[in-house]
Amino acid sequence: MTKDEIADMITNELANHLDDVDKEDLDPDISMRDLGVNSLDLIEVVQAVMRELDIKIPRSKLADIETINGLAEKFAEHVD
Amino acid sequence: MSDFDPTDFSLADFQWNDNPDVLSPPEDFQEWKKSPGIQTAFALFEQELQGPPGARVRMRSNVDGETREVINLTSYNYLGLSTHPEVVQAAKDAADTYGLSASGSAMLSGTFDLHNEFAQKLADFKQKEAAMLFSSGLGGNMGAIQGMLQKGDVLVIDDKCHKSVVDGGTLSRAKVVSFKHNDHESLDRQLDEHGDKRCLVVVEGVYSMDGDTANLPEIVDVCNAHDVPIYLDEAHSTLMFGENGRGVGEYYGLEDEVGVSFGTLSKSFGGVGGFVCANKPLVEYMKSYASPFQFSCALPPPIVAGMMKSLEVATRDSSLRDELWDNVRYFKNNLDAMNLDLGETESQIIPIIIGSSGEMLYSMAVQAQHQGLFIQPVDFPAVDASERRFRISVSAELTKDDIDEACNIIEDVIAKPLKAAS
Repeated sequence: MTKDEIADMITNELANHLDDVDKEDLDPDISMRDLGVNSLDLIEVVQAVMRELDIKIPRSKLADIETINGLAEKFAEHVD
Repeated sequence: MSDFDPTDFSLADFQWNDNPDVLSPPEDFQEWKKSPGIQTAFALFEQELQGPPGARVRMRSNVDGETREVINLTSYNYLGLSTHPEVVQAAKDAADTYGLSASGSAMLSGTFDLHNEFAQKLADFKQKEAAMLFSSGLGGNMGAIQGMLQKGDVLVIDDKCHKSVVDGGTLSRAKVVSFKHNDHESLDRQLDEHGDKRCLVVVEGVYSMDGDTANLPEIVDVCNAHDVPIYLDEAHSTLMFGENGRGVGEYYGLEDEVGVSFGTLSKSFGGVGGFVCANKPLVEYMKSYASPFQFSCALPPPIVAGMMKSLEVATRDSSLRDELWDNVRYFKNNLDAMNLDLGETESQIIPIIIGSSGEMLYSMAVQAQHQGLFIQPVDFPAVDASERRFRISVSAELTKDDIDEACNIIEDVIAKPLKAAS
């Protein structure tokens, strides 16, 4: 699976999770905090995407990542 | 988990339980907890104190099973009021008069004359019209925020705010957004984004993991520009900051700019519970909608009487907080001399930031305990993974000899190994 496909998966999950955000508004290069994503939202979305990808990366290795593309890049490193 | 060392994982990794049996934890959590390094870390939790939470206490170690006297740098008994003779006597007298329990929620049967008297004294102390009492600090923050906000509102919090603030937002069903810690420009951006909704900004007087204070002057300016009220959590600052001990609001001369002032009774007060001060109509409204107030048993009368005495003792003169600040200065000077990273602390909470190694953190904590020092490690996700640390809670009860002895142990167990590692 490519990084862009994973980014799309994260974007879809975020849009499903957030009541007041449209998928089109989720720029993958903008800080998720500035997109209105709080830490609880992010924990749930990250868990859901990692389950779907069948990977488990410690949260401590993801904590400094701010954007959807940053997350996708990290996830892609661990997908077979 | 095979790609990573077990110590790379933390409690943040196991919130999702995929075990089909709801009565069982996730299987990977159980496997993780069996790792030797993780067992050591968990052994440092829930260790048994066998006396009052004073400067020195007997403690049964979960690490080696030994009982030893330790210097206590971990309790929140900042002013020593938990064991102050006048406070303890007031609680005993109230137990004789009222018994142990309020035996009911405040609304139905749990409001005693003591509760009303204490709430009014707290309101007067904080220079607000009214106050309400909660049975726990967590319940106070959760209840007040849940009682004030609703779906469609926006709770805007500093990203280092306590879990009780986040949980209050979740319970209220308001949207919870955060701004970068103490960054007024980040706050301004969030209020620009959400300014068309009812918003509440929450900041803390003193942040519990870093010991720094809210950048209140700039935060007030931004909130005033957006006409958004401020909720100030003074859990770790009440009775200590400000000329009269009213907290960080007083310290900055900005109490009138704070719409809601929250405090706990479990820290400097030496008891348990929480309180919220605000204008009278709002307090009366929250009493009808804050679940932790409505549906919890009211504070026990002996606790209320003891806390009322704590307020009196701590505010009749400045001696206790003078002793505290003298200890804080002395402790910080000693730690600075060891070139330790103390972050941006401005308070009685002093972090010693050691970096990203969880293994080193727990090893140091165990060694400190063996040498007679009770100092708790703070790990991710409570703090950034690159800033794992110890957190010292300075108390007015510590003597200079206690601090000297503690610093000797800190030098041996933390400072020297850090220097060697660098």
